Order: sequence, then structure tokens, then C-alpha cells
Amino acid sequence: MTKVDHATQPAPANVEFSQVGKRLTRTDAPGKAAGKTPFAGDYVMPGMLHVKVVRADIASARLRRLDVSKARALQGVVCVITAADLPDRMVATDIPGQTGQKRLDTDQQILVRERVRYFGEPLALIAAETRDIAEQAMELVEFELEPTPGVYDPEEALKPGAPIVQGTDNVVAQHKIKKGDVEAGFAEADVIVENTFKTPFQEHAFLEPEVGLAWIDENDVVNIRVSTQVIEHFRAVADAIDVPHNKVRIRGAMIGGGFGGKEDMTVELYLALLAKQTQRPVRLEYTREDSFVGHGKRHPFKLTYRTGVTNEGKITAVDVQIIADSGAYVFLSPYVLLYAAVAAPGPYRVDNLNVYARAVATNNMFTSAFRGFGGLQACAAYEQQMDEVAKAIGMDRIEFRRRNFLKSGEPISTGFIPPSAIWTDQCVEKAWAALGEPTPARGPIKIGQGIAAYQQSYGRLTFLHDTSEAWVGVEMDGTVVVRSGVTDIGAGQTSALGQIAVEVLGVTLENVVIYNSDSAVTPLAGTTTATRALYMTGNATKMAAEAVRERLVERAAKEFGVDPDEVDMAFNAVFVIDNPDKSMTFIELVRICALEGIHRSELAMFRAPFSGYLDPETGQGQAHPDYTYGAHAIEVSVDTDTGEVKVLKSIAAHDVGQCINPAAVEGQIEGGAQNGQGYALSEEMLYEEGRLVTPSFSEYLMPTSMDVPKVECIILESRSGIGPFGAKGIGEPAMTPVAPAIANAVADAIGVRVHEMPITPERIVKAMRDAAFQLDRGAHREE
Amino acid sequence: MSREKMITLRINGRNEETSVPPHRTLLEALRELGHVEVKSGCEKGDCGTCAVLVDGIALDSCLTLAWMAEGREITTVSGLGEGDAPHPLQQAFSDGGGIQCGYCTPGMIIAAKSMIDRNPDPSEDDIRIGLSGNLCRCTGYTKIFEAVTEAASVMRARGAS
Amino acid sequence: MYAEYDLAIPETLNAALGILADGNDPKTLALAGGTNLIVDIRARRARPERVVGLGDIDELRGLDGDGERISIGARTTVSDLLASPEIAGVAPSLIDAAKVFGGQMVRNAATVGGNIACGSPAADLVPPLLSLDAEVTLASKSGTRTVALDDYYLGYKQDVRRPDELITKISWSRLPENSVNSFYKLARRVGDAITVTGVAVTLAVANGTCAKARIALGAVAPVVLRAKKAEALLEGQVLTPALIDAAAAQAVAECSPIDDVRASAEYRRHTVEALTRRLVSQAWQELS
Repeated sequence: MTKVDHATQPAPANVEFSQVGKRLTRTDAPGKAAGKTPFAGDYVMPGMLHVKVVRADIASARLRRLDVSKARALQGVVCVITAADLPDRMVATDIPGQTGQKRLDTDQQILVRERVRYFGEPLALIAAETRDIAEQAMELVEFELEPTPGVYDPEEALKPGAPIVQGTDNVVAQHKIKKGDVEAGFAEADVIVENTFKTPFQEHAFLEPEVGLAWIDENDVVNIRVSTQVIEHFRAVADAIDVPHNKVRIRGAMIGGGFGGKEDMTVELYLALLAKQTQRPVRLEYTREDSFVGHGKRHPFKLTYRTGVTNEGKITAVDVQIIADSGAYVFLSPYVLLYAAVAAPGPYRVDNLNVYARAVATNNMFTSAFRGFGGLQACAAYEQQMDEVAKAIGMDRIEFRRRNFLKSGEPISTGFIPPSAIWTDQCVEKAWAALGEPTPARGPIKIGQGIAAYQQSYGRLTFLHDTSEAWVGVEMDGTVVVRSGVTDIGAGQTSALGQIAVEVLGVTLENVVIYNSDSAVTPLAGTTTATRALYMTGNATKMAAEAVRERLVERAAKEFGVDPDEVDMAFNAVFVIDNPDKSMTFIELVRICALEGIHRSELAMFRAPFSGYLDPETGQGQAHPDYTYGAHAIEVSVDTDTGEVKVLKSIAAHDVGQCINPAAVEGQIEGGAQNGQGYALSEEMLYEEGRLVTPSFSEYLMPTSMDVPKVECIILESRSGIGPFGAKGIGEPAMTPVAPAIANAVADAIGVRVHEMPITPERIVKAMRDAAFQLDRGAHREE
Repeated sequence: MSREKMITLRINGRNEETSVPPHRTLLEALRELGHVEVKSGCEKGDCGTCAVLVDGIALDSCLTLAWMAEGREITTVSGLGEGDAPHPLQQAFSDGGGIQCGYCTPGMIIAAKSMIDRNPDPSEDDIRIGLSGNLCRCTGYTKIFEAVTEAASVMRARGAS
Repeated sequence: MYAEYDLAIPETLNAALGILADGNDPKTLALAGGTNLIVDIRARRARPERVVGLGDIDELRGLDGDGERISIGARTTVSDLLASPEIAGVAPSLIDAAKVFGGQMVRNAATVGGNIACGSPAADLVPPLLSLDAEVTLASKSGTRTVALDDYYLGYKQDVRRPDELITKISWSRLPENSVNSFYKLARRVGDAITVTGVAVTLAVANGTCAKARIALGAVAPVVLRAKKAEALLEGQVLTPALIDAAAAQAVAECSPIDDVRASAEYRRHTVEALTRRLVSQAWQELS
């Protein structure tokens, strides 16, 4: 296929797809609507025990005493495990699954031995005959925690003499990018604008809490049914419980939301330990309160941007200083930080760039993966900074962006040139135009409009040498089966594979069944994270289906007496392209092939591009396979008396390369808008000395149906992505630009910027009052 | 001293017996009886995933004691629809992209039904108010509003629920 | 979620009162909608030994809207309020509150009596009821009595209801002609959220002046309270913007908010002033 110059040539029109690109009812939808689809917590086994986790109730402490004897003695309690029962066991928390190789030694204690580093850190596991008994047993566990000095702010944690939480100096990761000559760039600038932005913790708030059921089967294999984004954790489980890798089997289920919160192990290891210990099935379901303290949150970031710009609006230099709160344990902090560093300048041409990013340990809740993974936090800052710089030189915000957008074929911050189209300009233009004229302001209600553009990767870091496998086969009756380990976290990961397979095989979606997420039985597809599932597993599925198709077509061609490239398959039929009367049904062809032993299935592996690490000093190299570009435009009203913000209009424009299912793409965009709005305005995790004081959904407020506008989705398809049929990824990109667009709209409405998210009504009132105070002072001085 | 009592719950038109103590919630009792279509999200009335109809009105089953539900008609999402034919709400949610992870779906459909039964032609605002107790993290609600509007129109046309 | 208590489910009010007459031994709590009590039991904030479920008692529901006084049964749910055209007519502030009260399922269960009895300063039906000069009827085995809602609360989660009493009715007089009654709930999101500041206002106008003013404030003090000094500034006057400003400032002086996870005391004071000014001004404009 000839390489398309995306900068100059329009994309080919979508004329040739029969299933791809159509709003088909997803394969998983009817079962979910009927209430028939089981989730991990819906499985039970006879003799099953119920598990509860006992947790530390302060953030920084020495465990002086832990006495579980009374709990053990309670009638109906079968097993209580503490660190004393796990002498030298640690668990790996570095990049989940995939190669099975650890890159970093970030192993940690499974249960607290001596030192508590965060509020909620697990002390003991209880397994009992009933949930009631397990709950009663929790109250019988006695422990004494002696508070030790803790540190709850990353900048405090960097100071000499600060309590050390990890390593020797609390710095768990750092990344640098140095491109061009920033000193020269700043010298060239007419104006230099500096701002610091702060982003908060965020809770994934998937509606299904972490849950799983484990048992030992007749082959001594530890089976774990669990709600997870990563079935490849079986390796880490096996290592931690000291059994061979082929003796742990993780069976996923349809997952009730992940968003990165089920990317690290959650309940798997506890279940495996208890199943081994008791030799009975064991079930652990987190309460919502467990969930709030039981899985890693989004990293809070402090980002300081210094931008040099000419009066004509050309960016001459950008310096970015980032500090991320890694919380009590490292988990995926180094990678989140790397994403942020790579994303730091945004989708703009910045020839002179300096980025210095550090992740710092504290006694706060540990932080890890969350939709956007550092690239989102960077966007929250760089898009606000773009508005501020435009304001400083008196230029229209859109025009300023336009003068600096990266174009197709240009290198990003690491010097890498994305292989696909960069259509940020078109996306911004369309989203902004769709906002239209502002709603009229009324009394104290002011109106503001804002936009944010973004660059967000899809596919994992290329130094991970990522791969994904899928198997496609055709039954003797012509029905299609897809088998892949991919976990389905609700975005239609499995249905998309079905849609791809049937497109290639020329049949229709109701003819396919997809079996997924069983680490023993389905080919391993890798994690459902990093916006990689469609790209990696979609490509693997397409490869497998194409191999089968090739063999079927070859046999059909023989039947028709033509060359294979004269044969096509569509709508359950096989026919000669120029002579459609020469045809047979798909089923007829399959029967012939079955009879003749033609191989009607294929297992394929798709490999992402492999690269080395980025240069440690300059950050140059390839970090990701490719990037998605787009924009989100917002109109808000702000009640200047109370600070309340309403989002009135929400318009997204993304180049997704090629929709597999437009309804699914819209669904991601609309959902990402809710997640981003909550992040920008109402979701706040408050901690006091590391103790969470917003531990449920009545304190932690995500947007409800009364809080969000309907989202308008403008979908562009450049067909230039490296996913199947030219698709790019949309999962994380859908969320990335929303919060800064809202922040920009609010600043537009009230004329002053709140630099810290969430932009609460109280922060707005305070910012307006401070600005008015400054104005007053200024006025007095002139007298 | 065991406080357990044998109670009969009438679920989706069938009587089901279970022995439960006073503190057992309807959510726990339903799931123990195998009605795992009723989901648990927070157990404190914040999220709506556990909603079921009790005498036709949507309640959070986590805030309802099982003993108090005796003698009432309980309907879960599995009890909607006729045989193999899905209820218009199930059809509309499924076909319109109103379902992503599906975990909030049973409670959302129950809440929507309860609202439509009392307000057969709901405006978008009515729908927002009717569903404000059902949290969804995946869909952003847009396609849910559309599904409920579509289903309400089908239900009006049929003249029955 | 594990707890240990006996559960009685009486079918009549008399039977319920008979159980409660035990002198709170065993420690007994009444269960209406459960939207607070079940949550409190799960969180171990409430540890009753016995619970009396009121769900079967029909006598505690019902609306009586004939004549001068309106009376609703304590088990009237928030959804019942929303569905009632009479309530919309006689208590608009109650409808304002009901619309943003919890989510649908909570509205379907939560009762007016329960919202009063829970004693939370953030209980959203209380400011509207205070702005209507509502009265609460309490019944026990030994009789009934009626208490002004204004006299019902004694302090944070302390009220005049004895352990052997149940709230049975809430009643108020129709508002005079030429009056406006409204409520605004300020929270950290629009749907299903705990109130940060709640303000209910009643204004009645006669002969071009303010004949009656009620300003009830929620979530800004240990109890829901009326800003009586602010009301006094308005009554009998023509409401100029300056006077309304003064009343709003006075309302701030009468509240005593705290810092909590939702907002600071300072912000609450700011919004008491802004919302009091706004609701009173809007009401006055509507009436002029």
C-alpha cells in the first residue's frame, strides 16, 4: 500500500466496509441489558469462604503489635493471614504482565511487616464461612500502630531531613528532555510567561468494586476469577506464592469499569494465598471504602511552565518542571512520569525544550495508572498555559495555537515523527466552530468558552517490546470464533475484535462469538491499558482473520476457476468480483474446506514497534508507537456570586483514524467527558495527614446525570493510524483535553484563572475576590 | 441467639424462600438467592446500581431490609421483558450504545422504568432528575438519555409496560 | 453488612407506639425510609438493639390539603411531595428541595418525618418547612403533642422528641395571597449531593410592604435555623436593595458554619449572604 502523505492528501472515502465503521449492536450489549452477563463477583462455589482485609488506620507508623488470636478463635473463621505467615514473600509491582521481566526492583511487602506507609495498608486477611463472621472477626483483630513522622507533600519530601518513604531520597523516578537550546530560545522571546498548575488525586470510581474468587483445581492449579484489566498477572501471583507459572490461571469476566484502577493487582494475590492456605474456594469483594484505599490513584502533579514567545505568536522555548506525588509505593510512577515528560509541550512545534520531571514518594495513597497516565496531567497544564500565553501577547487563543501546531510528518518532543496524520488543526477548528455564539450572560451569571487540544499516545512504551495474540477460526457451519486473552473493561474491546473478524471474513456480526480473558486457554493479548487493545489485539485479530481468509479465498478461486485476487467475500457470500453470478454462500465454501482439511483457523501475533530506551539526558528516541490528536471545546456558565459552574456545551473533535464502531467511539468520548468534567470541577480526594476523609461516593463527587450536558462528537477519520484499518486509539484521548478546556472556559468567563484543580466554587470565589483586591490595590496606588 | 427468620420474597413473579437475620439487606438476600443481576456498588445508597422495583417503585436494595420487603412485588432487571423478548428499555439501551461496562445498567434500567411508569413522556430534564441517583462512569449519560427517550416512546406506543 | 438487632414490623401506629413505650430498653430506633438509618448502622454510628420498621403503617401517610391548614403524614416520601399538585401549590420551597433531594431511589424511600428526625443540619426539607412555620405532631402511648418546628431542635442532633415518641404529622398554614416561597440548595454538584448551604425564603407582601419574612438556613450551623434578626429587619418595610443587603449580612451573623470536607466556614458565610440577598430580591421583585 502506498504511503499516504497525510499532510497533503485527503483520506479515501469509506466505501468498502460492510461491518467495520457501522453502528452495530455490540456483541456484549444484549446480555448486559438482560442482566445475564456475569461479572467476577457473580461467581460462587460450594464451600466458598468469604474474605475481609484488615487495614492500617494511620498513614505513617510502626506496627508494634498485631494480635489475631481472638479473630482466629471466632467460630466460623477458617484462616487469618498476617505478614508473620509470609516470611520472605514480596510481590512485584513493576509493569504488569507482558514479558514477565521486571525492569525495576519495586517489590513490596504483601502485608505490613513492620512499617506502615499509607492509610489503609493491609495488615491481615481473614477468611470465614460467612461474610458476617468475617466482618465480626475484623473487629477482633487487635493492633497497635505507633505513629512515625510522615510526609504528605512531594516538595516537603524532597527537603533534606524529610522522612524517607522510598529509596534514599524519596525520588522514585526522574526524566529529562532536552531539545535545541532553551537559553537561546528564551533570549529570542519577546515575552516570557510562567505559570504553575496543580492537578489533584483522582479516584477511578468504577461502579464495580474489586472482586474475585479463587480455588485450587484438580491439577493443583490456582484458578482466580477476577475483575482485572490484566490476566497476565498470573506470573506475578505465581512468583509471589512460589509456584510455577503454569500453575496459576486467571480467568477474567466482563469488567465493571477499570480506567487503570484494575491495572495493578488488587485482590488476586490475597485470594491465591488464602486458597492455597485453606484449600477451599475463597471470595473477596472490596467494599467501596476498601476500593477507595485499596488501589492506586491518579498522580497529583505540580507543573511549572515557562514559555517564551514572539509578539507574532511563535513559541521560541518551553521549560517544564514537573513534580508528581508517587505516594507510598512506586508502582507505575516511573512510566506515568515518562508519559508526562513526553507529552509536556503538547501538540506543538517546540524546537527548544527543556523538561525535568520527578516522581516523589510520600505517605499519601500510592498512585498508579489512570486514564491518560501522565499525558493527561501534562495537557491539563499545557493547554491552560497556551491560553495564558495567548493572553499575554494579546492574540486570539485559536490563532496562537494554529501558529504553533505540529503538522503531519513533524517530530514530537522526543524527536520521533508519528507515522500517522496530525490533524489537531482541523479538530480544533471544527470543535470551536460547533460551539457557536456564546449563550448570553445574565446578571451574575457569566459565560465563558474554552478549548483544549492534545497529543495522547496509543500503544504501550515501545521499549517494552509489546506483543498481542489472537486466534480466529471458522466452524464447520460457517460460524466464527475469536479467542483472545484481551480483557473487556466496557469499551467494547471484545466486540471490536468480532467486528474486525467478520469484516475480513465477509460475514456479519451475529455470526461471531468471542471468547476472552482466560490466561490458560485464550492466546495472551496483553493488558487492556495504554489505549492498546484495539491497536494491538485488533491488529492481531485482523492478521489471523486474513490468514484464514486467504486460504478460503484460494479454495473458492479454484472452485470458480479464477485467480484469488478476483474473489471477494461479503455479507455471508463469496463471489467473483467482476462476475457476481459466480458465487456461493460462505457456509458452502466452509463445508468444502472442512472436507478437504484446509486449515480454517489461525493464531497470529502482532508486534508493536520495538525500540530502546529514550536517551537518559536528552529524552530523544521513540517512546510510543503513535499518537492520537484532537480537541475538546467547552462553554460554561459561572455564577459569580456562588462560584458554581455549569457546563453548557461540550463538543469533542478527534481524529480516530477509522471507527470500528462509531457508537463505541462516541461512547468513549462521552464517557471521557464525564471523567474530565469531574476531574476539573467536582472530584476531590481530601487527606488529613494521609488519612482519606472523602471515603465514599457521597463525599467524592463524580458528575451525575444532572451535572453533564449532552456531548457532541465530531469524529474525523484520517485512516492513517497503525491500528486495524487505519484506526488510532481513543480510550485515553477521549478524556485528556476535557479538564483544561473547562479550565480555559472558566477563566474566559471570570477573567481570572484558578491554577489548581478541581476548580471548585470556593476556589472561584476566592480567585475573584483576590483579583478584585489586587485591582483595588492597583487603583489606590495610582492615586 | 439466632435472629434468623424464614421469609418469602416474591421476585419477578415467583415466591422464593430464604432464612435471614433482621440486618440482612434486600441486596444481600437477592444475591444470595442467585439474583446476581442485582449489582452492588457502594452499599450505602450513593450509586444506584442495586436498584430494584418494589411494588413498581425503584428502591436501593442496599437500603432496604429483606424482612421489610416481604409481601411486596420485587422486580429485578431479569423480570422485565416477556420471555425471550427484551423490554423496550433493554432493547434501546442495547441497540443505542447506552451500555459500556454494563455494571450500572440493571439499576439504571430499573430507575428508568420506575420513572417512565409515573411519567410516560419524560423530557430530557425529567430523565436527568429521574436518573441522578444512578452513577455511571463509562457512558457520560448521553446515550442513556437517548435510550430512555426512545424506550419511553416505544412504551407509549404499546400503551403498556 | 453485619449488625445485631431485633426487628419489629408493627402494622399499626398503636402497635409501634406500644413497642416504643418500653422506655428505650432495649435501645430502639425507628426505621422509615432507611436512607439515613441503614447507612448509619453500617458505619457503626448507630448501634440499636432493636429497630422498629414503620413501612407497613398506612396511617402515617396521606395528605390533607383542605382548608386553612395542610397536613402530611410523616411517612410521606420525597417522591410523594414531587408528585403532589397540592404541595406544589402550597409549598413551592418544598418542591424546590425535593427536586434535588438525593436520587430517585432515595426520594422514593426517604420520608418527611425521617428527614426531620435525623437531625442533620443539612436535611433539605427542614429549611423549607421552617420557612412555612411548620409544626410537628409527636405521638406516644401517653398522647400526642404538637411542637413548632422552630422549637424542635435543641442543638446538634438533639431534639425534643422523646425515645417513646414518633413524628406522625407535619402541618402548616396556607401562605397568604401575595407571597413567594422558595429554596435554593448549593452543593458541590447538582445531582444527589449533601448540601453546602441551603436557604429557604418566604416573603409575603401587604400594602406595599413586607408583611412576613422567613429566612431559614441549612448546613451552616449545628441546627437548621431561622435568621430571625434578619427577618425582623425586613418585616414591615419596603425592601430596598440596601435593606436586603443589610438583611443578608445579618443572616450571616446569625449562622455559625464550620469547615468540613465540602466547604470552609468562610465560603459558607459568603454564600449565605449571596443566596439570602438573591432569594429575597427575587421574591420581592416577583411580588412588586
